[in-house]
Amino acid sequence: MRETIRAINGLKKESLIEDYAIGGGIAAIFYIEPFLTYDLDVFVIPTQKEKEGSVILLTPIFDYFRNMGYSFKGEHIVIEGVPVQFIPADELEEEAVRNGKQIEYEGVETKVLPPEYLVAILLRAGRKKDIAKVESLLQQAKVNRKRLKDILRRYGLSDKLNNL
Amino acid sequence: MRRDKDIGIVIQGKRIITREDLFKAKERFHKEQAKLPFEEKIRIVVELQKIANNIRKPSERPGIVWDIDK
Repeated sequence: MRETIRAINGLKKESLIEDYAIGGGIAAIFYIEPFLTYDLDVFVIPTQKEKEGSVILLTPIFDYFRNMGYSFKGEHIVIEGVPVQFIPADELEEEAVRNGKQIEYEGVETKVLPPEYLVAILLRAGRKKDIAKVESLLQQAKVNRKRLKDILRRYGLSDKLNNL
Repeated sequence: MRRDKDIGIVIQGKRIITREDLFKAKERFHKEQAKLPFEEKIRIVVELQKIANNIRKPSERPGIVWDIDK
């Protein structure tokens, strides 16, 4: 996965995206015990020029990896043996990416979404498997409750946590 | 009155633990797993992917097993 991350970092170096952070199951696994998952979710903040009105263009990302010879599997790009899904960040996710936790994977720098934002994103998704991850994060990770409450309040998600 | 959580369970030799101890140990184990290095956790994910593929029905499409050594 080291080379996968290195390849994704290339997007930022080539100014094809403004920033990115790992989200989804793999970000959760950074904080909690491992579980079965098959893809690497990457939340991206596209550059201003890739935002055309209500349309966000991910084509430069896809073209970049296609030119590097990587294959596609559904919505995933298989980068160095790992299926990666690129998700353009909405408002909450963009804030999460900007506040991403800087980490290293086998010496390669990357960012993961902070646990408070992961909880918020998972609560918003609200499927059973998302709620199970929220419960694990609250039990096993160091979640700053004050920060979490603030995020949930600002994005109208407080009731979702209260109703758990 | 004796509560269920206080009922003793013999696990090894003469060692007796309660149901509550058992669940606390389980919780401790999950917390310990959560503290593993990220790289080690990813290796576990790959092992889980292999196990999931092995127990899949022949009619089901296998999930991709990550090649993380790259």
